[in-house]
Amino acid sequence: MRWLLSFLLLALLGAVQALSSSGSRLLVVIEELEEKEKYSQFWGDLKSRGFSLSFESPKNDKLSLFKHGERAYDHLILFPPKSKGLGPNLTPQILLDFINRDGNILLTLSGNSPTPAAISSLLLELDIHLPPDRNALVVDHFNFDSNSAAEKHDVLVLPPPQDLRPGVKNFCSVGGSIAVPRAVGQVLGNESPLLVPILRAPATAYSYNPKDEAEAVEEPFAVGQQLSLVSALQARNSARFTVLGSVEMLQDQWFNAKVETAGKETTTANREFAKQLSSWTFKELGVLKVGKLQHYLTEDGKKFNTSSLSVPEQNPRIYRIKNDVAFTIELSEYVEDHLQPFLPPADDDLQLEFTMLSPFHRLALKPISTTENATVFATSFTLPDQHGIFNFRVNYKRPFMTNVDEKRQVTVRHIAHDEWPRSWEISGAWVWIGGVWVTVLGWLAFVGVWLYCEPMDRKAGVKKTQ
Amino acid sequence: MAVAVGDQFLQGTTGRNTRGMLRVIILCTIAAAAVSSRLFSVIRFESIIHEFDPWFNFRATKYLVQHGFYSFWDWFDDRTWHPLGRVTGGTLYPGLMVTSGVIYHILRLLALPVDIRNICVLLAPGFSGLTALATYLFTSEMSDSPSAGLLAAAFMGITPGYISRSVAGSYDNEAIAIFLLVFTFYLWIKSLKNGSAMWGALTALFYGYMVSAWGGYVFITNLLPLHAFVLICMGRYSPRLYVSYTTWYALGTLASMQVPFVGFLPIRSSDHMAALGVFGLLQLVAFVEFIRYQLPSKQFQTLLRSLVLLIFVVAFGGLVLLTVSGTIAPWSGRFYSLWDTGYAKIHIPIIASVSEHQPTAWPAFFFDLNMLIWLFPAGVYMCFRSLKDEQVFIVIYAVLASYFAGVMVRLMLTLTPIVCVAAAMALSQILDTYLVAKSPSPQVQANGSAETVKNTASSMLPESLRSTRSPLVGIYSYTSKLTIVGSVTAYLLLFVLHCTWVTSNAYSSPSVVLASRSPDGSQHIIDDYREAYYWLRQNTPQDAKIMSWWDYGYQIGGMADRPTLVDNNTWNNTHIATVGKAMSSREEVSYPIMRQHEVDYVLIVFGGLLGYSGDDINKFLWMVRIAEGIWPEEVKERDFFTPRGEYRIDDQATPTMRNSLMYKMSYYNYNSLFPAGQAQDRVRGARLPAEGPQLSTIEEAFTSENWIIRIYKVKDLDNVGRDHASAMAFEKGNKKKRPSKRKGPRVLRVE
Repeated sequence: MRWLLSFLLLALLGAVQALSSSGSRLLVVIEELEEKEKYSQFWGDLKSRGFSLSFESPKNDKLSLFKHGERAYDHLILFPPKSKGLGPNLTPQILLDFINRDGNILLTLSGNSPTPAAISSLLLELDIHLPPDRNALVVDHFNFDSNSAAEKHDVLVLPPPQDLRPGVKNFCSVGGSIAVPRAVGQVLGNESPLLVPILRAPATAYSYNPKDEAEAVEEPFAVGQQLSLVSALQARNSARFTVLGSVEMLQDQWFNAKVETAGKETTTANREFAKQLSSWTFKELGVLKVGKLQHYLTEDGKKFNTSSLSVPEQNPRIYRIKNDVAFTIELSEYVEDHLQPFLPPADDDLQLEFTMLSPFHRLALKPISTTENATVFATSFTLPDQHGIFNFRVNYKRPFMTNVDEKRQVTVRHIAHDEWPRSWEISGAWVWIGGVWVTVLGWLAFVGVWLYCEPMDRKAGVKKTQ
Repeated sequence: MAVAVGDQFLQGTTGRNTRGMLRVIILCTIAAAAVSSRLFSVIRFESIIHEFDPWFNFRATKYLVQHGFYSFWDWFDDRTWHPLGRVTGGTLYPGLMVTSGVIYHILRLLALPVDIRNICVLLAPGFSGLTALATYLFTSEMSDSPSAGLLAAAFMGITPGYISRSVAGSYDNEAIAIFLLVFTFYLWIKSLKNGSAMWGALTALFYGYMVSAWGGYVFITNLLPLHAFVLICMGRYSPRLYVSYTTWYALGTLASMQVPFVGFLPIRSSDHMAALGVFGLLQLVAFVEFIRYQLPSKQFQTLLRSLVLLIFVVAFGGLVLLTVSGTIAPWSGRFYSLWDTGYAKIHIPIIASVSEHQPTAWPAFFFDLNMLIWLFPAGVYMCFRSLKDEQVFIVIYAVLASYFAGVMVRLMLTLTPIVCVAAAMALSQILDTYLVAKSPSPQVQANGSAETVKNTASSMLPESLRSTRSPLVGIYSYTSKLTIVGSVTAYLLLFVLHCTWVTSNAYSSPSVVLASRSPDGSQHIIDDYREAYYWLRQNTPQDAKIMSWWDYGYQIGGMADRPTLVDNNTWNNTHIATVGKAMSSREEVSYPIMRQHEVDYVLIVFGGLLGYSGDDINKFLWMVRIAEGIWPEEVKERDFFTPRGEYRIDDQATPTMRNSLMYKMSYYNYNSLFPAGQAQDRVRGARLPAEGPQLSTIEEAFTSENWIIRIYKVKDLDNVGRDHASAMAFEKGNKKKRPSKRKGPRVLRVE
């Protein structure tokens, strides 16, 4: 119900101005406020999408991400500080706490200024590794912009990112190529399923410290596709944390700049990329919302219940084994400023699990209808022949989409004593029922005969003694 | 004048009426004494359900009263054995709950709205009054002496062996089952004596009630056939036996099959096969008797005898074959452990881990039965003197129950009635002989009982001895009369004293609430259990799953009203072993288990601060053993002992012990109570390591006043995908070490 209410409010607000699904308060932490002029187009884009921007210097003592124990901002952009660190108000712990409380962070790095230790330790905590050399850059001797970096080869020109794998939506596939000047490459750990690379370096790129040539060539930090220029972490609470390897990408000068690589001159799509990237990070894209979730008996023949949306969930808490049940769930996807029906990509399926310790059923949920802003997925099945406490679980976790993990606990009970078929309905029992009645009637007949038979000789009868 | 009036009242028809009246009054007094001696706990503490199992019975009764009988019958309990649930309606003995439910509704009908809790608390004392009555009836069938029954009733009323399971608040199956046991035996003797189908049917009826009330009904199921079998073997077959046994067996079996938990067991399990076999044997014997009656030929008789034997052997062989092939369920583990006391420890640790399944220590007999224990053999011996059908029953019952009581502490309960009966018979014999004011005359014995004694004695004693040639039992000297009567009175008074003392000191503690004495003698109540359970009740979501060792399952269900993983109904050994494994493994192993079972809170009992010895660290080895039974590769009991074979918790403890979740939960933050390095465990009497254990996957949620109950909350997965240990380290400000030098080949990310 609260879901629905907030959703309604959100829709109302959305009508007034376009806005992220999780609030519009955006804090930009930038050390030198004059610097921000370089990014005016980016700010303009953000403002036009409804964000209210506040700029703060990390040196400001009063800067705090929390107020009265609640988040003071919904989103955070961190610019690489010129000084050693971000100060006591933005320690890794505080930043992690911000994520844990559903705040989104866009962290930018730059090859020009060394990354502070606090930031790299935060990244290490998230299993994102930065090169040990603080001045390391990503260079590529094949995909560089010959206009601006003919010598240093440190301005990469890349095609838009490919799909991560089939069945995953790609929000950053902008039309043109992307210029990545002086980027800090990141290496993503292999363990965490929450990490995804958004923009990977080309196969010929490597991380290189321009100040210390000899060693870097000996043993580069990372090479090729292993280097990620833009990577993202979506926490379990769906808070988003994006690491942008090159802050210069967002500067006006690289928005629609002319670049030349391998003799071909193109216009960069950095503006579009920045828009998509910030939209994704600040939850304007790839946000899934669960609407009404229902499960019910289908014993009476009707397959799916298509009653009106306003009915709140009135799901039964208890079923019986081998009941026929149906399950429906409404999913919508938030796109920029509104909710629209969600459909999984072609190679993907939304699945329902019916689990107790392990899944007893894992069924594909098929879209059966669409409402104005949601798709109704449904399936129906027969409950397993096992009593216990089960969960209807929809566990849909995909890269770039917020996590959907809906559980509804139900009890599946055994068959009650009066739910079994009656004995005469079982043909195999007829023999025994017959036997019972033959015995009963036989005994009655015997008693009758006994009572109506006169004893032949009273004297011959032996008196019963004890 | 007074003597004359007394004589008038004690003679003739009036005398009989007066005696009957007196008997009723005495019985009522005995019942009152039985009830009131069980009220110590209510007076001292409060009207509260005791211990563990009663909490389940109480909860089930509340369910019954609230939802009605049919939904109780079909009750699927989704708040225990998470996530398996329990088909409770079909796996309990409903007799107790239905009895309280009926009483509750009757009282309401009489416009007496009594709280169901009070009915449950006072049910056991109430039924103990009835037990005294049933004992009186039973003993009266055994002995001619009018005092034997009253003595037996008095003994039964106050003997600690029975009080131990029937104080107020001890709302367990035994509360009504002992009454039913004694009463069924009374009815059986009655029907055997009369050869009456009506009494046999009544026996079956009460047997059915007994089956619905307690698993110990198997004792009756085997004792009655044994009795019948012994009687046949002694050549005491009679149509009375035939009528009573067949009536009881046919109706009783049908009645017992109506209980869902028993179901088809009476025809499928080995425990019940003796009754069936004797039933068949009785038919054969009856048939043979009938033939013999028709054809009195000696050769034919021998032929028939051998035929009977053959059929018996064939039937027995068939039974064995069916058991081996699996049609008939083999003996249950609890049954084997009755014969081999070491069996359970090796094969079924879960049974051995229950303290009431341990073999009885010999002082327990004296503690529970006091002087009755030495009167008991005398009473049994006296049964041999006039060996009729019912005396044979006493002898068999005495022998069997003595054995069982020696094997299992809990079965002391079945021994108690027969001890009371036999002791009363012996004592009444003494009193009848010595409490006669008149001197016996050699020719005509004035006293009836002395006469029978003389006759039986003369028939039994050998003629060769001069002193026994013309035995005359009777006491002439007033001195000896006074001495004996005086000493018996003293013994009886001591017995009452002992019973009261034992009841008040040993058996009246609810164990939910502990009491201790302050130095000034005032009582100090330690109420940690309820404090913790109510904390759970008020601070956790309605369906928060609690993991604890199974001992506390029923209490959590009853008092905290939260779902539990395992409880005292130990039907699923694997599930209990899972909890045992979670408790005895490292956090990294336990955490996935707890996640899989959706555990929200872990509850443990820790007595180290208070010196409360029944805590989880002392039970820990059973958890390990039970877990080892299922996962011998992962949990090893040996690893919890030091190389010298000691079970230690101090700095000598093995790493496995110190890393186990149970150890960590018990001693987490315990150091903070003491000056550095001084932490002391008062139960184990050990000094703890200077540095306490660290927890990462769970966090402390609640610790009760005296630290008896500690509750931990299971953390969710780390939000950004770290493991809990490194998340904890980060929280503490420890920087993650950058892998300085890569070892081995670089691990590449494939996606």
